Amino acid sequence: MHALLTLILSFAGALACGLMPAGRARQIRWVALAFASLGLLTALHCALRYGGSGVADEVDWPWIPSLGARLAFGYDGISLPLLLVTGLVAVCGVLFTWELKERANEFYAYYFALVGGVYGVFLSRDLFLLFVFYEIAVVPKYFLIAIWGGTRKDYAAMKLVLYSFAGSALVLLGLLGLYFGANASTFTLQELSQASLSAPLQYVVFPLLFVGFAVLAGMWPFHTWAPTGHVAAPTAASMLLAGVVMKLGAYGCLRVAIGLLPLGAKVWAPWVAALAVVNIVYGALVALRQTDFKFVIGYSSVSHMGFVLLGLATLTQTGLTGAVLQMFSHGVIGALLFALVGAVIYSRTHTRQLEEFHLLIARMPVIAWVFILAGLASMGLPGFSGFAAELHVLMGAWQSPWVSAGLVVLAGAGVVATFGYTLVKIHEAFFRPRVASGSSDKEGLYEPMTAAEIAGCALLLGSSLLVGLFPSLLTDKMQASLKLIVDRLNEAR
Amino acid sequence: MNVMLYSMEIAMVLSGLGILMLDLGTPARGKRDLGYLAAFLMSLLLLQSVFMPEVQDGFSLLSSGHSITEGPGYKLDAFARYFKHLFLLAAILVLLMAVDFAGTLRARLAEFFALVLFALTGMSAAASATNFITLFVSIELITVSFYVLTSFQRGQMRSLEAGVKYLILGAAASAVLVYGIALVYGATGSMEFAALGKACPSAEHDHLLRLGLLLVIAGLGFKIAAFPFQIWVPDVYQGAPAPVTAFLAVGSKAAGFALLMRLCHHLRPDLRELTLTVLAALAGATILYGSLCALRQRNLKRLFGYAGIASAGYLLLGLLALNAQPGASPSGAQGCHAMMFYLAGYLIAVMAAFTVLCHLDGEDEDLSVLAGLHARSPLLATVLTLSVVSMAGLPPLMGFLGKFLLLQSAFEVLSPHPAQLWLMVVALGGVVISLYYYFGILRAIYWGGGISPGRPAGESEAITVPPLARLLLIACGLILLWVGIFPQALLEWLGDAVALFR
Repeated sequence: MHALLTLILSFAGALACGLMPAGRARQIRWVALAFASLGLLTALHCALRYGGSGVADEVDWPWIPSLGARLAFGYDGISLPLLLVTGLVAVCGVLFTWELKERANEFYAYYFALVGGVYGVFLSRDLFLLFVFYEIAVVPKYFLIAIWGGTRKDYAAMKLVLYSFAGSALVLLGLLGLYFGANASTFTLQELSQASLSAPLQYVVFPLLFVGFAVLAGMWPFHTWAPTGHVAAPTAASMLLAGVVMKLGAYGCLRVAIGLLPLGAKVWAPWVAALAVVNIVYGALVALRQTDFKFVIGYSSVSHMGFVLLGLATLTQTGLTGAVLQMFSHGVIGALLFALVGAVIYSRTHTRQLEEFHLLIARMPVIAWVFILAGLASMGLPGFSGFAAELHVLMGAWQSPWVSAGLVVLAGAGVVATFGYTLVKIHEAFFRPRVASGSSDKEGLYEPMTAAEIAGCALLLGSSLLVGLFPSLLTDKMQASLKLIVDRLNEAR
Repeated sequence: MNVMLYSMEIAMVLSGLGILMLDLGTPARGKRDLGYLAAFLMSLLLLQSVFMPEVQDGFSLLSSGHSITEGPGYKLDAFARYFKHLFLLAAILVLLMAVDFAGTLRARLAEFFALVLFALTGMSAAASATNFITLFVSIELITVSFYVLTSFQRGQMRSLEAGVKYLILGAAASAVLVYGIALVYGATGSMEFAALGKACPSAEHDHLLRLGLLLVIAGLGFKIAAFPFQIWVPDVYQGAPAPVTAFLAVGSKAAGFALLMRLCHHLRPDLRELTLTVLAALAGATILYGSLCALRQRNLKRLFGYAGIASAGYLLLGLLALNAQPGASPSGAQGCHAMMFYLAGYLIAVMAAFTVLCHLDGEDEDLSVLAGLHARSPLLATVLTLSVVSMAGLPPLMGFLGKFLLLQSAFEVLSPHPAQLWLMVVALGGVVISLYYYFGILRAIYWGGGISPGRPAGESEAITVPPLARLLLIACGLILLWVGIFPQALLEWLGDAVALFR
């Protein structure tokens, strides 16, 4: 029952914040922080209690018997890191929008509706339920971007909605194919995973489900919603988008497409791997050419999600571990980078154009060093979570019979490109005198970080460091659940 | 003749006539109260019908039978009753909406209320029709009432234009319908729907039957606004007074579908091959046409008109299951189940949306009237949002499960023929496209300042909503949400209503 509390708390938070009067921004943000923190504590409690195998906190109530859909919740080793990252990002999102005044009640109502939908997806043990939660998130995402957003917000919000919904349409088609193909009149993951699905059906349904979910994971060439959406979104929303919403897609790919269709997965894995490597390399190269700081981070997200997809395509225990670890790692680091660029730095410089920054290292030294640390974490420096994750992915890819050696080498080149753009952009942002002329920006020191910002940065950077130093904290819990999937893959003929 | 079969319709007509009589003695100030009276009477009827259905299955007075029909042409089964409940609910909401709308109607109110009741009688009769005579009479009763209702704002050119368009196109559709009925009668020698299930005496007769059937479908296609019989929709929806548009969108459409369901249920297996193809093509074209035309629409009523066309397309998907070969895996009941659930959700969403529209000022219903609505009346904004999101088919609202069930049943019908899965692609494409215009409405509500240059952003004066309307709006919103999350009760109730299609 405990895990369900995350879900209930989020929707209760949405209701509570939505009903508070708009003028009381101060009270609203404390209420929001309280609900988000309780959610994180619940997720942490779940993580500490989880024994390492099987499905914990299972509940199973009848819901729509005529469809065979059930209200089945529970979490296993795959959901667990994602619950944690959702909790972390939700808390930090509130911390980094501490100064929000405009329509704060509505903002947090949508914010928590989105968070609740995300928790719901990670906790669902029924495919129909999972799809419902997956879709619930569409409206709050749209509102968050389109009301409080920035650059070209209308365009970005609509693009995000249409892309993610087009993905959902594919998922729905795949879902129906699965439902009728299994001939079991059920949507529960447990029973669907035991149904015998014919090979031709799996070959057809797998790409529908995988691509449908992967749209939200930012898979090339369906990634274009991600940079524009992330850039337009207000800070808290872009943290959620990059941190957890993209993980929804990857989670769907793993749990539904790979988990239920092993034969389809084996046939299509080489293609997925190729696209994943395109993601890594393309994202990194495009990031190198960006002049808007937020777009740099947006494309780096695309690149990092490539590692998740590559890990999924390996279909090996090591690679899948890496994929899930990378979901956690990028969730934390991506959220931190967006917070730094979108809120901490922007609120002081009032520009995100790199050529207008002027020697920030001297003018905001603490913030600059926090960003550099975050950048190093994003590059995958040993000691941070990204290193462990990418190492697992590349090792898995090397072992995997479905990923050719050439692709692994290319992915390695992608890592180098990541080093390249991160260092170049750190230089351009912090160590370079102003390039653009005519800026009215004053010289001198900027204000120091606020308490809320320090807390948020410490939380995110700390968890990345903790998982980087002791990856076994998470990986031990995942092994049994991933092994189930890998065993099914190996048994399937 | 079993009088109790018709007890509901008799009550409706008597209420309508009573309203007209009472009008003679009512002072001008009290005319609005007649609307409340009518709504109250219909609520009583609805309650009676829901909680005491057995009263209606009464005794027989006269033996039935006529020269060309074999029964009363009339059935009061669970299916008919479900639709009657829907129509009554719609009529009650429309009457209450019209009372608030009375200020802009500027015409004889009592007649308006009475005509709504007469149209309701027609819809209610259509739900029970089992032969072509009842079908035609009920359709005509609906259509003739709407001829007057659509042009009720006689001072406005647009309303008159709507009336004329509806009259001419409606008359043409009736002609097609009646010609089709004549051909079917000629081929089968019977007016009963059941005769469609029997073999014809010769091949020529069979050709006539097929032609007649297509013409009947075309005539009903006008009612449900399926492509290519939808041309009247945008102009009529725009010109008619808002309560009438709502009634037209929900009641008239549902009546057409109820008739189609009964009709298709009796079809012979070889006729089903024909109708399945025709209906699949109609569904695809209707969805695409409705969705694409709504994209650039800025007038709210026209927008809902096009959205309603697309909805008719989705509903047609459910009808496919009835036209699959008998014994195929989705029973016709499953398709009807989906259609009836969708219609219930559609009814609530459309009624809520039009009730909100009635409370907005502004002569034209341009999207910009919604500007700043979230600040002017959070209630109206919230309810309109719920209704639009439900129509768009997003969870956790009723519209989601409705669309899901329709797509599911269509998928099952089409999956044995992979070549026909294009329809699924079209339908899902339509859903994605529809998000663009539905979210355009949301955009106008929440940050739609300065869309039209003449109207400054965020007009701050609050909109006051009368208590009764507020109650109804809250009820609609809660129903959309509650039934969307816990649909089982309604689904089980529907299970009885579709038993005859098993």
